[in-house]
Formats: sequence, structure tokens, C-alpha cells
Amino acid sequence: MSVTSTNVPPAPQISGSIEGDVSQEFTAPARAHWLRRLLRDRAAFLALLTLALVILGAIFAPVLATHDPASNSRSVMTPPAWMARGNAEHWLGTDGQGRDIFSRLLYGARLTLLIGFAAVGLGGFFGSLLGLLSAFNAKIDPWIMRTMDVLLSFPAILLALALVAVMGQGIVPIVIALGISSIPDCARVARGIAIGVMKQEFIEAGRAVGLSNLQLFNRYLVRNAISSIMIFISLRFGQTILIGATLSFLGLGARPPASELGMMASQGRDFLLFAPHIAVIPSVVIFIIVLSANVAGDALRDVLDPRLQA
Amino acid sequence: MISAVLHRLVLSVPVLFGVLLFGFLLVQIVPGDPAMVVAGPTATADVVAAIREEMGLDQPVLVQFWSYLQRMAVGDLGRSMISNKSVTSELGAALWPTLELMIGSMVWSVPVGVAMGTLAAVVRGSLIDRAIMALSVAGVSLPIFFISLMAIQFLGVKWQIFPFIGRPGPWYTAEGFMALFLPALSLGSILIGPVARMTRSSVLEVLKLDHVRTARAKGLSETRVILAHGLRNALIPVVTLIGLQVGYLLGGAVVTETIFSWPGLGRLAVGAIMSSDFTVAQGTIMIFALGFITVNLIVDILYSLLDPRVRK
Repeated sequence: MSVTSTNVPPAPQISGSIEGDVSQEFTAPARAHWLRRLLRDRAAFLALLTLALVILGAIFAPVLATHDPASNSRSVMTPPAWMARGNAEHWLGTDGQGRDIFSRLLYGARLTLLIGFAAVGLGGFFGSLLGLLSAFNAKIDPWIMRTMDVLLSFPAILLALALVAVMGQGIVPIVIALGISSIPDCARVARGIAIGVMKQEFIEAGRAVGLSNLQLFNRYLVRNAISSIMIFISLRFGQTILIGATLSFLGLGARPPASELGMMASQGRDFLLFAPHIAVIPSVVIFIIVLSANVAGDALRDVLDPRLQA
Repeated sequence: MISAVLHRLVLSVPVLFGVLLFGFLLVQIVPGDPAMVVAGPTATADVVAAIREEMGLDQPVLVQFWSYLQRMAVGDLGRSMISNKSVTSELGAALWPTLELMIGSMVWSVPVGVAMGTLAAVVRGSLIDRAIMALSVAGVSLPIFFISLMAIQFLGVKWQIFPFIGRPGPWYTAEGFMALFLPALSLGSILIGPVARMTRSSVLEVLKLDHVRTARAKGLSETRVILAHGLRNALIPVVTLIGLQVGYLLGGAVVTETIFSWPGLGRLAVGAIMSSDFTVAQGTIMIFALGFITVNLIVDILYSLLDPRVRK
């Protein structure tokens, strides 16, 4: 049997350890092992459970909501059910326009999470592509990394301000801005992981059997680096959500009548004196989501890369 | 040593150019005609054309970019499209309040963060360590607007200890100092978590090193070992972290300034964007980026001064 140019040898799997990398964990039994270790960490388990509940709540918002999130009612600024003057009709109370806070929270979490997922996905995709290319080709490496330095000198909120200045307020510029601002970080991580993969012997072997650059990149580099890269990118989720909600709080992101958690908190600002729950409840929900994401992320990092444990 | 600093300076040139290009593109890709915005809705076509010529908008893009670079070199950022004041003077007026707020927030939060991190490292694994770490994760996860609102609610409104609207004067006046208190408290609180975490892991790293063991073997007191031999070396990465956090702090400043009506760059930027004042928006965003680059440059140089191993 002869090896022709179309007959590409199967992409190798990494079995050994890679310097500065977590890929060795990614064979199937090892994967089950880290997941078990992650779930054994009580804080991480609780955080993942909370995240799962919030995501489920957001997905099933139309089913779970007790009221239309946008419809006003005559009972304005009703406190939550367990407080004096509260009632069971609106168990988290109503806002300044008489809208049911519980229902708005569900829809708000939906939008907040969506912004976070979209932004992390966008930044993660382009960031890892650039990082992988950087590691793969030494010629373009300095160009890409210098560009990343420029991007890095624009903190996320500033980039968002700039994009909103150009595109006008809305969710799309916010997602793009958050996505772009996570590109440099993702690119650096991806580059680091990919450089580890590029040092492996099978890359040399692939070159030796005459694989094209595209085949080498696609089948050898990307497939071996991608799972580690994705894990690291998921660590950014909490901070992305937090900045997204902050931008909506400033009035740069989501706009009424949509409900978004940051915007809900901002609308509650005017009623802080008489009805603090309107601002406090959505803020606490943001806090819980971000905290869970951060705790789960930290635990994940600890489990996957023991060297990072302090 | 000097060559390292020079190298670092040369490296920041392309970054600077990138920032300038970005600022230029920002106004180029704005939808609509900037000349129309300046002229106002009632202007005739002649007036718009005259303004376009005056602003150089009828020139080819490369010519516009060149004259833009020339204007940048002498610090001419154009005029506000709304107030017609020079952007440079508006930025100048807003710069000091922002610096005051950032310094005011770091003055208390960095020492607190370093102290918490060191304590956590020294009593590693204990309940105190876990409590401090939990606190710092919680701190990183707390929305800054929530901290600000709570500060206003309790310290401002309920107990009426501090004012919470505007900046009546610079920090060395009595009113100015009191007014700085709540914004600096809110902004500083987001820095404690990252600083404490970094300090902790850095101190842990250093305490494992040989020179610390030697210091212990010499019979130095534990306090002296930790402060003179541990913390001093551990602070190097913390300095770098603080440099990186300036961007994060700037973002926080945008929120804090807006909530507390603090007349700084962040509020100027948000106001300019809300009113489509592109020249002011461009100016604030550029000055933020330049500030961030400068701080990181200083931090890198400081780093090479602090750490003899980097001096090559």
C-alpha cells in the first residue's frame, strides 16, 4: 500500500504531557476523571448547579414567567411577597412601572446570558484562530501578536464605548465589543497551547510525509489544541457577563422594552429610596451568575492544571 | 538596562500608531456626514459644503489621515461638535478629576489587597485564608454599579455621612475630600480581589525559595522573614498586575463617574456618545488608550528596575 497525497495518515492524539498545557487530561478516561474531581469540589458543584438552574430558567422563561414581562399593572413598586405590603401575586414584587420583577428576571437573564455566550463565542473563535495561526507560522506571528497588543490597550468598556459611538446603542455593538476585547486573551492562550502542540514529533512527521500546510494546520494542530483552548475560553464567561450587564446599566446596551439584568438595575436607581428591591434583585442575580461562573471556572482551572494551584 | 528601556520604548511605537489609526477610523466610519452634524439640521447645502471644506472632509482619505496625524502631534483634537469648545481643553478639564478618582481608589485598595493576600498566604489553608479568597472571588463578581448604589444608599442617604453628587472642589479642600470618598470607595473595591489573589500566589511562590529558608535558618523572626524577604520580592508581579488593572479601573471609572456625576473623562465619554459628539468621543477614547499604554510602559520599566533578573 502506498501513501499518496490524498491518503492522509490519521491525525495523532496526544498521549504525553505538553509543556505548559493541559492536553494530557483529554483522553476519555482522564476526562471522566477530571469531571468527577470537579464535581467533588463542593463549591464548584454548587456553582455549576446554580448556573444550570439559571440557564434552565432563562431557556424556559416563557413557561415559567407568571406575567408578561413588558406589561404594566396598577400595583407599582410592590415589595417582594415576604415583606410587609407584599403579595403573592408578584412574589418578587413589581418595578416602577408595575411590571412583574420575577418574570422580567427570567427574560432578563435570557438576554444577559445570550450576550455573554455570543461575545465569548465570537472572541473565542477569532482569538483562537489568530493564536493558532500565530503558532503555526513564525512569519505572521509578530504581526498578529503586535496587533493583539494594540487591542489589549483598549479595555473592554472603552472598546464598547467606541463601537457604540459608531453603531449607536444596542446589543449588537456590545456583543461585538465584548467579543473583540476577549480576542487578545484568547489568542495568547491559544498560541501558548498551540506552540506546545507544534513542538510534538508528529508535526515533524506530518511535514515529512508531505502534508500540505492546510492539512497540517487543520488535522494536526487544531484538533489537538482545540479542547484545551475551549476550556480556557470558558473561563472568561463570568467577566464578560459582568461587563455586558454594566454596559446595559450605563444605557449603552439593551434598550427598553427588552429586559436585561443590568438595565433593570439601572431602572431601579430612581426608586432606590422607596423601593430598593427594584435595583437590588437584578443586581444580586447578576452577582450570583458571575460568582458561579467564576467559582466554577477557578475550580476547572485547578483541576485541569495543578501547576496553577497556588 | 538602558537598552531594555529603549527596546520597550521602540516596541510601543506600533501600538501608538495602531491607537492613532483606530481613532482616525472611528470618525471615518461614523454613519452620516460629520459636517451635517456640525452644521445642524437647518443648515443649507452651501453651509454644509463650506464646513466640509473647512474640516478637510473633501480631501482624499490619506491626505485626511496625514493632516490628522499632524494635528495629533501638536495636541489639536478639533472642536466639540456640540459645544464648539476645543476638545483638548475639555479633556484637560476632565483629566484631573479622573486621575484624582483613580489615585484615590488605589491609595486604599492596593494596601488592603496586599495585606489580605499576604495574610492569606501566611496562614495558607486555614479558615482565614479560605475566607479571604472567598471574599476576593465575590469582590471580582460584584457589579460595580451595585457597590456604588449601595454606598449611596447607606453611607450617603440613610446615614448621611458623605455627599454623593458631583465634585465641589479638588481633593485637598474639605468638601472635595469628602466628595471623593464614596466614588473612591466604590472604584477601589473592585481592585481588592485581583490584588489580594495575586499577592497571595506571589508570596506563596517566594516563601518556597531558598533565600527565605536561609533567612529562617539565620534565626530571623517570622514577621521579618515574611515582610523583608517574602513580601518585598513578591510585590514585583503585583506591580505588573496593577498596571494591567489600570484598564479595568478605567472601565470602572466610567461607571463610577456616571453614577456619582463626577466630572471626569468617563462621564465625558458617555455623555459625548449619547449626544453623538464624535470629536469629543474620539478624544476621550484616545486619551484613555494613551493613558493605558503609558501606565504599562512605566510598569514595564519599573519591573526591570525592581527585578535584577530582567536587567540584561
